[in-house]
Amino acid sequence: MKISKRFLAGLLVLIMILSTGCAKPAETKEITIAEQFGLAYAPLQIMKELKLLEKNQPGVTINWKQMGNTAAIREAMIAKEVDIGFMAIPPFLIGWDKGMEWKIAGGLSTSPVGLVTNRSGVASIKDLNENDRIALPQPGSVQHILLSMASERELGDSKKLDNMLVTMAHPDGMNALQAKKDITAHFTAPPYLSQELKDQGNRMILSGEQAMGGEFTFIVGVTSQSFYQDNPQGYKSFLKALDEAIAYIYNNKTEAVKILSKAYEMSEQEIEEYLDTEGVSYGTEVKGVKSFADFMQRNGYISKTPKDRKEIMWDEVNYEE
Amino acid sequence: MKNKKLIWILLLLALWQAVALSGRVSPLTFPSLGMILKALVSSIMAGELLSQTVFSLVIILEGLLIGTLLALVLAIVSRTGDTMNSFVDTLITLAHPLPGIALLPIIILWLGTGRSAIVFIIVHSVLWPLLLNIIAGFKATPKLYSDVGRNIGLRGIKLFYDIYMPSSLPYLISGFKIAWARSWRALISAEMVFGAVGGKGGLGWYIFKQRVFMDTAGMFAALLLIMLIGILIEEVFFNKIEKQTIRRWGMAEK
Repeated sequence: MKISKRFLAGLLVLIMILSTGCAKPAETKEITIAEQFGLAYAPLQIMKELKLLEKNQPGVTINWKQMGNTAAIREAMIAKEVDIGFMAIPPFLIGWDKGMEWKIAGGLSTSPVGLVTNRSGVASIKDLNENDRIALPQPGSVQHILLSMASERELGDSKKLDNMLVTMAHPDGMNALQAKKDITAHFTAPPYLSQELKDQGNRMILSGEQAMGGEFTFIVGVTSQSFYQDNPQGYKSFLKALDEAIAYIYNNKTEAVKILSKAYEMSEQEIEEYLDTEGVSYGTEVKGVKSFADFMQRNGYISKTPKDRKEIMWDEVNYEE
Repeated sequence: MKNKKLIWILLLLALWQAVALSGRVSPLTFPSLGMILKALVSSIMAGELLSQTVFSLVIILEGLLIGTLLALVLAIVSRTGDTMNSFVDTLITLAHPLPGIALLPIIILWLGTGRSAIVFIIVHSVLWPLLLNIIAGFKATPKLYSDVGRNIGLRGIKLFYDIYMPSSLPYLISGFKIAWARSWRALISAEMVFGAVGGKGGLGWYIFKQRVFMDTAGMFAALLLIMLIGILIEEVFFNKIEKQTIRRWGMAEK
């Protein structure tokens, strides 16, 4: 008797938790944007600092979240805690493949990425052997997919290097490479890429463009279906603010460098050097989705490819095959 | 008691299924039992999950062995006199509250990211609770027992082996239970923080991989497996040892 009473009480509590947890009011007074670390997200720092989205959408609170990896952004978007997330194309495609209701709203940046090694005598990924350890953010990340693409082309097997991978965030990977211990290579992006290449002992043996065999958008902005449908005004304002932020970087470079230097805690000279690096550009055009999707489907990372662009992009997106 | 446990488990499973099928939750966050079982079976069939489980278990066993040996040595050392006793005591006070995961960055600097790093973390998480329990067991040994032992001529290691060990066995076993649970946690969290060890990786790495590829059912499948192994060890392995030793000797309740 005692047990059944307790059980009923427990059941009741569970039901209460479930019923309250799910019933979130549809609130459009707030927009939450999630980004990650690195200079590829520079326009967002401009947008944040100059309050561009607030200007386009008065009366709305904008929340910014900086998250450690794409999986966390995806999970937050499933939980409806984030409306707009920024990430590379492969993690977006994995979410889409698994049935997440979201689409690309626009590009953000292209950026040089590359595989750096500290081992002398290694000139290409063909020279890596089973004792090498390659640090990169995580399986399924754009770095991992690019490495697999190069592996497929040069070694004949996309998964050949998978057993050498060590999951590390960019800063940890850089430290591990510089420590010259077990990590002998690091697939990374600016500013870590240029910092590593300043060391005479390090060399880049593979660039993102070589791996891909063409140009691609590094970071894209993605919004959930519910945000796009329930808050069309917010969506429009967001696109406008993004355009303005990107234009600001190119039209008011001195000011932009100042803002970015503060946001990234880097010197103005370093920021300027970065902005002038070949391959660095900001723009809302999206490139390379098809190549990523075809490769990922062929190698079992996703189960299907988008039949046409409407499946993965909102109508306004400026897309190039 | 056992039957009741089973009923509770069935009820919880039914509740889970009811929530999953209620239509209020997305399968991306709350997969149904069928999806989880399917993920479990297909991962096992692919050979991946089992080999990763074995990898995890082997590494834990290694850590448990080293940790147990160290704990025994330190426990014996602590019995050799007041000076050593206070030394071991100080060690425990300093090291016991440190979570293994907090040591991770330092361990990477010292030992790199290889297998030895994970074993180190497991040894750390096993050693201190086990040592505490062994010492408590020694202290709880009635003076009468050790006096009797000395009376019949037992000295040193012999005294330790014939008197202190059996007398403190209930403490040792509960120490092992804690050590086992801690080593699981240490292994899985370490793998989730810094990825695969030695290229292959165990269950923690498996869960992490399912997370980055958004296979929620696969994540739950791994959790289920961890629970099953836990139940197996607890209900079968420890139960059996207890039955054959301390319960048979009348040192614990049946």
